[in-house]
Amino acid sequence: MNLKYIIKEGFAGIKRAKVAATTSIFSLFIAILLLGILSRFSYNIYMQAMTIKDLIEVEVYLFDVDDQTQQDIARSLNNESMVDAVTFISKDSASAVMKREFGPGVEELVELNFLPASFRLKISADAEVDQVQNLVSRIRNLRGVDEVEYNEGLLKVMETNLNMFTLIGGGLGLLILLAALILVYNTIRLTIYAKRELIRAMKLVGATNSFIRSPFIVEGILQGILAGVLAVSAVFFIFEMVIPFYLPEMGILQWPFGRWYFLIGAMFLLSVIMGWWGSRLAARKFIEETYISG
Amino acid sequence: MSENTVIELNNVSLSYENRQILRNVNFKLRNGEFCYLIGPTGIGKSSVLKLLYRDVVPDSGSVRVTDFPVNKISMKQVPMLRRRMGIVFQDFQLLQDRNVFENVAFALQVTGEKPKFIKQRVLEVLGMVGLSHRRKNMPSDLSGGEQQRVVIARALANEPRILLADEPTGNLDPRATQEIMEIMKMINNRGTAILLITHDYAVVKKYPYRTARLVDGKIQDLTWKGDKLVPIQSPV
Repeated sequence: MNLKYIIKEGFAGIKRAKVAATTSIFSLFIAILLLGILSRFSYNIYMQAMTIKDLIEVEVYLFDVDDQTQQDIARSLNNESMVDAVTFISKDSASAVMKREFGPGVEELVELNFLPASFRLKISADAEVDQVQNLVSRIRNLRGVDEVEYNEGLLKVMETNLNMFTLIGGGLGLLILLAALILVYNTIRLTIYAKRELIRAMKLVGATNSFIRSPFIVEGILQGILAGVLAVSAVFFIFEMVIPFYLPEMGILQWPFGRWYFLIGAMFLLSVIMGWWGSRLAARKFIEETYISG
Repeated sequence: MSENTVIELNNVSLSYENRQILRNVNFKLRNGEFCYLIGPTGIGKSSVLKLLYRDVVPDSGSVRVTDFPVNKISMKQVPMLRRRMGIVFQDFQLLQDRNVFENVAFALQVTGEKPKFIKQRVLEVLGMVGLSHRRKNMPSDLSGGEQQRVVIARALANEPRILLADEPTGNLDPRATQEIMEIMKMINNRGTAILLITHDYAVVKKYPYRTARLVDGKIQDLTWKGDKLVPIQSPV
């Protein structure tokens, strides 16, 4: 197969059908840009939710138990996979906290030494409400545990909102992706349709279908690369220049997973894949359906 | 099929959009032979060519072109079949965004030939049709006759054993028609078999070669009797 010819024709294809190629690049650019923006916002919203969830703690209040029972409870709590950290608060520490938080005037109450010893548990941010409820039930059944408290309401609200957000965000992402795929497929099909005479002529002189298809695929990949570069530049521009300047109250939005290249790489790769996939599918179908005699 | 035969249709029937076009047709074209296929417009002459370059397949019967059993080959083999033949249509089918040289070179590029060979061969076939000096011109700069000569050059680029021509002079004036027919004659003299569809009796008369007529779904060979073409009694 004449690789040089295929690559040259792929580049020339964009020049020859400028309007169709521009439409294709533009539609792909918009789709990738929207997905990029959605991803960055979604990641930040998710991380915010996780930070709030991370603040939720479980307090395990104990009866007046001996040291051995206390140690048994601590061991059981540490063995729980959902528990990230266990902090023991002795009766004295609890009194000191009370004194510090309520200020002067509570000395008499503090002297009564009525506050129980407790464990403060840091729960994994990934834990769901059901799992936390089960954990709490298990802890309540431990010998020596008096009461277990946590902010169940907040956890439930967080989880419901996060689920809703995941559903809407994911649905929106899928919808954009689907719309982009259809748009890219149809635009590339139009680009190919504009070259039906070329396809007929190629068939006439005995070109194989894969040979006819190759320049279109090269063209699709090139369109994907161009659209990807545009979308990536636009994302940089929006998040690094526009938002900090015009909407400083939004604060600095983090790049997903803390590094710019994850999102940028994913956007660029998706753009190239869509350009390749769209052109391959459209070219295959159109070439098979094209006859020499028109 | 004997080694002498380049095209053979055996009991071929073909219907298209509920219309029977060919009925148990038998036809042979020998190596290096020139044959006209005539008949009224819409009778199905072009469908015979479509069968040969495998744009359609017959309802029954067998079609053979050189050593290709055309109706039995896979879609992957179709391009190989087409490389054995040159095809020329009435509408020139040149790529308007490429010059004359590129239009001819294109036929060799798609078959994976080396650039050096392509250059040499393109100049050779353009020389054969008398258009070497116009190799840098765009198709729109050429007359109808010249455009058709470029198409013929492109069809010859792969050194085909057969040239299929569907009304190649249909859009041309008498002078351009004569030029094209002279080129056809020269190509045939070099050993390429030609099957040429036409309804221009003046051409058939001026350049007398074997003539077959498609009528009522059958192909019958004709011969000149005075000013008239009449059927030959024993079919070839």
